[in-house]
Amino acid sequence: MKRDKKIIRLAKKLVELSKDNGVVTVARVGEVLAGLKQVQHRHHLTVLKSFLNYLHREIALQTAVVSTPGALSGEALKAIEVTYSKIYGRPVTAVIKQDTSLIAGVRVRVGDDLYDASLAGRLQRLAENVS
Amino acid sequence: MKATFITLLLALSLPLGLVAAADAHATSLDSVAEVAELGAHPTAHEIAEHAEAVLKHSEAVAKAEGNKLTKIANKFGVTWPTLIAQMLNFCLVAFVLYKFAVKPIAATLDERQQKIADGLQYAEEMKTQLAEAERERAEKIKQAAIDAQKILTESREQSKEMIEQKTQEAAAQAEAIIRKASEATELERQKMLSDVRQEVARLVVATSSKVLSRDLSDSEKQTFSDSAAKELAGTAS
Repeated sequence: MKRDKKIIRLAKKLVELSKDNGVVTVARVGEVLAGLKQVQHRHHLTVLKSFLNYLHREIALQTAVVSTPGALSGEALKAIEVTYSKIYGRPVTAVIKQDTSLIAGVRVRVGDDLYDASLAGRLQRLAENVS
Repeated sequence: MKATFITLLLALSLPLGLVAAADAHATSLDSVAEVAELGAHPTAHEIAEHAEAVLKHSEAVAKAEGNKLTKIANKFGVTWPTLIAQMLNFCLVAFVLYKFAVKPIAATLDERQQKIADGLQYAEEMKTQLAEAERERAEKIKQAAIDAQKILTESREQSKEMIEQKTQEAAAQAEAIIRKASEATELERQKMLSDVRQEVARLVVATSSKVLSRDLSDSEKQTFSDSAAKELAGTAS
């Protein structure tokens, strides 16, 4: 248990080291991995797994997955990036994901937060309110 | 018994006493007759002389009487030694009879009389006790009847109260059952309505989704998506 806590703490520090101006970059991650390779920690594999896990979480927090059934204008995408960067206080990059089940509109996911402005979501909420 | 014996002795000696009394009475009658022969207003001297004469006469009469008694006794063969011996014999026989016959018989009779008296007293006491027992029995029967009546009345009241209580409980239970059934029916109805609403909403949503997916053009969808993205950006900021 004590060992797990130490590994978790180390993984979190490695994630912090992987950021450049608050944003995880490929270059910094490469440097961190190179450093880990040189150090050769006793629980190398466990540290790497934990680092990867926290890295995914950090990337998810810095990415706004915009689900939409069709194309979206660049202007709308930019507005989403600016707005959510301001809200979370860190640079957020918007990524478009096709989802035809939404019928029309958009659904944005940032980390564990979900913002829904799709037609399917509205109909679903309407149905829930009726029942 | 003792008293009877004494009475017998007295009866035997009574004739001698009567004879002596008759003689004394005759003498006194003679003296009275002589006093009556005096004048209407005698003087003291005459009275004294007369009293002295009477005294002398009395002495003479007494002497003559003694002679008369002696003559009678001699005539009947009564002499002092025989009389005394007979009296002694009589007393001895009387004593023996009293000591060995009369006294035990008297004791036996007294004892028997005492027993009879005790028996009578015992019978009287028993009679009293019987009467008392009869009275107590009657009182107890009366009291028992009163108690029985009281118990019967209490039992009737209790049974009446119990019946009333049970009736009320049954009514309350029936009311509770009816209320629960009504509530269950209402819940069932509400659930059915909710299910119907959910089903209708699901059908409406599914139908609307299909209709919108089929009828909306790509440009319309993009326009809606852009406006939705701007709306999200505006709402979030």
